[in-house]
Amino acid sequence: MKRSERFAAACFLVCAAASVGLLIVYVQHSDPQWEGILLGLALAAFGAAFVVIAHGLLPPGPAVNYREPFGADRAEAGGVEESFERIDVVSRRRFLVAAAGTALVALAGVVVFPLRSLGPRPGNSLAHTPWRRGLRVVNESGLVVRADEVALGSLVTVFPEGFVGSADGQAVLMRVEPNMLRLPDGRNAVAPKGLVAFSKVCTHAGCPVGLYEAQRHELLCPCHQSAFEVLIGAEPRSGPAARALPQLPLEIASDGTLVALGDFTGPVGPAYWNMPQ
Amino acid sequence: MPGLATRLLLALPVVAGVVALLALRPTAGAETAPTARTIYLGDCAVCHGADGAGTQRGPGLLASGKAGVDFYLSTGRMPLQTPTQAVERHAPRYGPETIRALIDYIATLPGFHGPDIPVVDTAQADVARGGTLYRLNCAACHAWSGRGGALLHREAPPLDRATATQIVEAIIVGPGNMPSFGPAAINTPGQADVAAYTHQITRNPDDRGGFALWHLGPLPEGAVALFAGMLLLLVLARAIGTRA
Repeated sequence: MKRSERFAAACFLVCAAASVGLLIVYVQHSDPQWEGILLGLALAAFGAAFVVIAHGLLPPGPAVNYREPFGADRAEAGGVEESFERIDVVSRRRFLVAAAGTALVALAGVVVFPLRSLGPRPGNSLAHTPWRRGLRVVNESGLVVRADEVALGSLVTVFPEGFVGSADGQAVLMRVEPNMLRLPDGRNAVAPKGLVAFSKVCTHAGCPVGLYEAQRHELLCPCHQSAFEVLIGAEPRSGPAARALPQLPLEIASDGTLVALGDFTGPVGPAYWNMPQ
Repeated sequence: MPGLATRLLLALPVVAGVVALLALRPTAGAETAPTARTIYLGDCAVCHGADGAGTQRGPGLLASGKAGVDFYLSTGRMPLQTPTQAVERHAPRYGPETIRALIDYIATLPGFHGPDIPVVDTAQADVARGGTLYRLNCAACHAWSGRGGALLHREAPPLDRATATQIVEAIIVGPGNMPSFGPAAINTPGQADVAAYTHQITRNPDDRGGFALWHLGPLPEGAVALFAGMLLLLVLARAIGTRA
């Protein structure tokens, strides 16, 4: 066996081994960095094998195939035919072909197996957040937010008590002049003293809508510049977002803390295939 | 020999002249160093009104507190040359003493209220906590690097020249279109933490990789990596392809 042939076969085997390793790492949910390293190794070894084959095993070019002169004698033609049927030409490459096949099968497994990652179905979970009636409003340190701590024109990122850092429960709480509020569906009643809270997750692509222009009462999304008009219920004014930010119904408890009256007025974040209207 | 009364009568014009001269002197001095009231009426009252309640050209000052007045004057955002000029950071028009005198004068206007000038000590600040608060509250507009960024109608300013006091003043006052961040969002120790973190990222940024790419962010960094990687792949492809 030629040296380059052995090297190419080794490359194919490395590819197969890396692919199998990747499958094991994937099934065991361990480090995604190792998944990347192993995938890179598998593809690099696969490619290296073909580079070696091209350089070392294929006849060096440029190849010029002159037309056969007419009238070659039968003996010569027979000799050529016989050389094509010589068994060792094929068997010499059998090991290499087997190694390439192993690598291909292992790589195919790598491609097919992660289909598992598409599940399970999210069901109804996208329509709900941790907010429930009676949950107190807390800030990012978990401290309860009092209504008198939120001055006119100020902004606080808030979470439901016990769910600090919740991705779908995060909301922006602002205080505006109560008589400027024109919230739809009688929702002025759940914005006590001009304290109004909306989901912080953009309805376009899910970025945090953390930019607030206090004088214009507009919330901005930093990713694609969607602008939401706070005073009319965070309806989108410009940009790619098509739905209003869902509002969090609030009331001021007797001890001055802010309490949710229920979940958001709609599903938070980007639209999805079976989103309730 | 004239009598005492006559002598006194003769002396009167002289005394009057001296008194008049003495009386004139402070007036002449006041022209070179005008009082805070004179500066206010000359530079501020055109837009904000002599009583600080605001006019059609500008908003009232009465609710801004000493912190708000200090922020606008010490960052040179005020006074404007014309009422239509953009409110941006400039070299301060007045010296620190004049600014202090102006703040004290404006604070005496009837109905003036609002936050006092904060005393910020960043020496004891928790920079890591400041980073958490900065990313939650500030980074959306002022960018992860403190270099500012575009909003819908204007832009959030860079923070690299802001002093710790000015940063905390902006947090508690919410100048211009910026919302204020009250105790529920950033409490008093948190304010110093944010100021310390802002100074760290704008004055001593930890730029791994050596070249910060002007802190433009991950998109240009990715683009540079892509083009550098493409070149590398091109060279590699040429090396592989020179078989024939």
